Amino acid sequence: MSEPELLLDSSIRMWVVLPIVFITFIFGIIRHYLSLLLTSEKTVTLEQVKNSQAMIRSAKLRENGQFIPQQAFEKRKQYFLAEDSIIIKGKNKPGQAKNPMTDPSMMTDMMKGNVLNVLPMIVIGGWIQWTFSGFVTTKVPFPLTIRFKPMLQRGIELESLDASWVSSASWYFLNVFGLRSMYSLILGENNAADQTRLMQEQMSGAAMAMQQDPQKAFKNEWEQLMTTNYVNALHGIEDVVCTTPVVLEDIYTRERIAASAS
Amino acid sequence: MSSRYPGKMGKERRMPPIQYINPMMVRFNMSTAEYARTSVSALSGVVAGILGLTGLVGFAFYIFCALALFAGLVLKTGGKKSESKRFFLSRRQLLLSGQFGAIFTYVLFWTFLYGMVHVY
Repeated sequence: MSEPELLLDSSIRMWVVLPIVFITFIFGIIRHYLSLLLTSEKTVTLEQVKNSQAMIRSAKLRENGQFIPQQAFEKRKQYFLAEDSIIIKGKNKPGQAKNPMTDPSMMTDMMKGNVLNVLPMIVIGGWIQWTFSGFVTTKVPFPLTIRFKPMLQRGIELESLDASWVSSASWYFLNVFGLRSMYSLILGENNAADQTRLMQEQMSGAAMAMQQDPQKAFKNEWEQLMTTNYVNALHGIEDVVCTTPVVLEDIYTRERIAASAS
Repeated sequence: MSSRYPGKMGKERRMPPIQYINPMMVRFNMSTAEYARTSVSALSGVVAGILGLTGLVGFAFYIFCALALFAGLVLKTGGKKSESKRFFLSRRQLLLSGQFGAIFTYVLFWTFLYGMVHVY
């Protein structure tokens, strides 16, 4: 490996490169907890719960309907596609497409999202660019074309410098993008809690996707259910079960087989 | 599961693999794979930075690591296609999803360690 053609002061490492990593990382974590703090509880109306439950049941019938007898399948399908069923009603009801501007709660949610995501990035980025301006911080280990120079060497403006040397602002942006997937690793517990909470909401029918456009979702579900035909997945299962020598794979049988073999 | 207990009628009446898909568990498996991917990309970035790989060799190393992870996951889920279908809906998704964020993580760690070890 050829040594780089530029020798950097090691105090740049101590006082520029590492602090930028540290700051980016800490701000990501703070942002995560702030967003946990600020997200408002979504209130769900009775009708939304009803709608989403109907959708979930219909989807279950579509996906796993091959395990029940044909009669049962047809009966359920007829029930879902009856004139006064929730799906048909929802399909025919013109969905009042919610305008996010008129709904104040949605508006504040959007605001919060923007404030939490975009604003800190700009503020911290600007601050880093201002504080650590003019340093050649590090070198990316792959060659880059000359077009990357204005992007990666913001604040250095040296004509002859190779494009793979980066300035502090660019190092910050590299951190922002690279650490994004690290957060899910490090904040694992909290993220997992988030996910389970999300799943619970889905199970209890808090209608995440439904809020967009219920009519469209209903129409989609209706079409899919209409085109689903009964297929018996358990055809001839009696023969298979009766003729297949089933070896139960558990510790008990494994031990017994091993004991009888020895 | 039918492929697991090959009976007499295995040949002539092979049933399509029956499975009940549990969406929650599918998502759980995907997120587990995502964890593995992030870890592997970070670790391989560290290795590449310490070794001082540059240029295309480094990216080739990343591709090698991603493929190795994919192979490992497939082997872990049983090797055969019908077996891995029990855990993941599609294999291609297992290979390709989240690759964009992973490569950024790789580049970050690669650059960081390369800078620490070889530049300063």
